[in-house]
Amino acid sequence: MSRSNSNPGPEEETEEQQVWRVLSEAGLVEIRLEEFAERIRDVKHIVTARLRELLDFNNRVQERESAAYSLGTLTGLELKLLANAPNPPDPSKK
Amino acid sequence: MKSQAQQLRTDATWPPEEGQTISFQSSTGLETTILQEVRWGLVWRDFVLADGRVVPEHRISGCPQPQVWRKISEVTDQEREECEERLFSMAGAGLDPRKRDQRFWAELNQYLAYTYLRFKQVSARGQDTRTDPE
Repeated sequence: MSRSNSNPGPEEETEEQQVWRVLSEAGLVEIRLEEFAERIRDVKHIVTARLRELLDFNNRVQERESAAYSLGTLTGLELKLLANAPNPPDPSKK
Repeated sequence: MKSQAQQLRTDATWPPEEGQTISFQSSTGLETTILQEVRWGLVWRDFVLADGRVVPEHRISGCPQPQVWRKISEVTDQEREECEERLFSMAGAGLDPRKRDQRFWAELNQYLAYTYLRFKQVSARGQDTRTDPE
């Protein structure tokens, strides 16, 4: 997807443009229909990385719990989506 | 039906009001329809159309640039939890998010974007946060 405004370098970006760029690069502005499972895995990796960082701290209990809860939510959604996913075409029926 | 000139918006008159005719980019091209509701998601505004489809603001004709986003810190825990409950409810009901411009697609899209920004941003300044272990 393209934007009508020009693409300034990262040092010239406004906060809005930076959010757009970060989300676009992550493929999260408008997720392609066939990429939901992959995007969920990508976001889980980000949350897992943060959770690992938080394990170094004893005073970040709330943030750690919040990250763990988000990870659980993403995993739950991933499992439900996989369970509901349409079956791939049977190659033996070609 | 409103003229093209009427559909051009400025920041002062954006977003359009409920009941107005709007144009937006769909998977098949430019469509015109009636706006039912504008509501904030966790990151951006969604436009709910009269036929129930949910379209992100940046695909609506006349959307001011750059687009307005919510700050992650503005989203309350309660709001996030309510979104998570809705997502689980829709997934549990067997809805498929792989249906473009439907509510599940729109909500899951925003939840993933929000969660990514929330933890990616914190992680990016992780070096600073490592200064205060107990």
